[in-house]
Amino acid sequence: MQDWFDVFRSALLRRGVPHATVRQVVEEARAHTGDSGEPPLSAFGGPEAYADAVVASLTPTDPGRTRAPRGDVLLRARGITKRFGRRTVLRDVALDVHAGEVLAIVGANGCGKSTLLKICAGMVSPDSGTVEIAGRVGYCPQDGGTIEFLTADEHFQLVGAGRGLGRADAREHGRTWAGRLDWADPGATQARHLSGGTRQKLNLTMSALSEPDVLLLDEPYQGFDRGTYLNFWDLVWAWRDRGRAVVVVTHLLAELDKVDTVLTLGESR
Amino acid sequence: MDPDRRSQWLRGVLDLCVLGLLADGESYGYELAQALTRAGLGPIQGGTLYPVLLRLERTGLVATDWRAGEAGPARKYYRLTPAGEQTLRAAASDWRGFAGQVGTVLETAVK
Repeated sequence: MQDWFDVFRSALLRRGVPHATVRQVVEEARAHTGDSGEPPLSAFGGPEAYADAVVASLTPTDPGRTRAPRGDVLLRARGITKRFGRRTVLRDVALDVHAGEVLAIVGANGCGKSTLLKICAGMVSPDSGTVEIAGRVGYCPQDGGTIEFLTADEHFQLVGAGRGLGRADAREHGRTWAGRLDWADPGATQARHLSGGTRQKLNLTMSALSEPDVLLLDEPYQGFDRGTYLNFWDLVWAWRDRGRAVVVVTHLLAELDKVDTVLTLGESR
Repeated sequence: MDPDRRSQWLRGVLDLCVLGLLADGESYGYELAQALTRAGLGPIQGGTLYPVLLRLERTGLVATDWRAGEAGPARKYYRLTPAGEQTLRAAASDWRGFAGQVGTVLETAVK
């Protein structure tokens, strides 16, 4: 049987409670049951319901999730054309993504979804066309992007340093984001020992940590189990609700009710 | 007493009772739970008490720090802030007025 405190801890983390706060709340509950000799289930009730109560106490009482109205265009691409050898992968593609909007890029394999995303991220040059971005951009690749011999914490510190966070702050922020993806104990494992799904969590956590205004996500949920997959969409919506512009490349058509706008590539060829 | 009504009443004043207990000096969660029981307001479940403490902390009415006890685990100690003292004073006089008004209405009814 799983320990009540472990379930409670990951329930808090999944709800986005900062890592340091989680540690204290769990320690305090543990001390209470130690003092009173009462089992946690009878003192606090079910761990998930108690996590909800704790979150409610930690959150100001204004209405829970209010979605910011769609704002300015944060990402604008016009006339994007890209050829690889004689093959034209992208032809005159245009897109606008506003603050507070989620756009999905869909299309068959090889239609240029990932290439378009890399062009938006400035990692690949188009043969013609322009990309304008207002603010900072974060890019999460389909795979790779992690550094084999660094631990998760070291990744967080590295990315955190880029926005001026100290090491402890960066670790704290990173662990908090990881917790929202149901990854309770990042810490000291080197990236090369992580499973594929967990590496993707590390990638996503790093994208979040850099607090970008425009988030470009290239099917970042591969290897996620069902629960984490839903946490991923919660995260996307949380970003959207905070006025970020989010682009998700996907080949799963079932996702499309989760997004605001859909751009289908490769239709007119 | 009807337990539902009692717990409803208590929910409205538990934060003030906690502030009141802390006026006697700092304390930690379990000790506060025991003090509430001694005051005849218990038993208060941990699942009820700690969210109240978190809310008081968030709104700046109490301050906290972690300290190791002489024996046993580290504990989170709560103490009143100046804002908490002020809230407690105002609430105590509001409560006196409110309880008096309710009392007057109820007592005229049963006479």
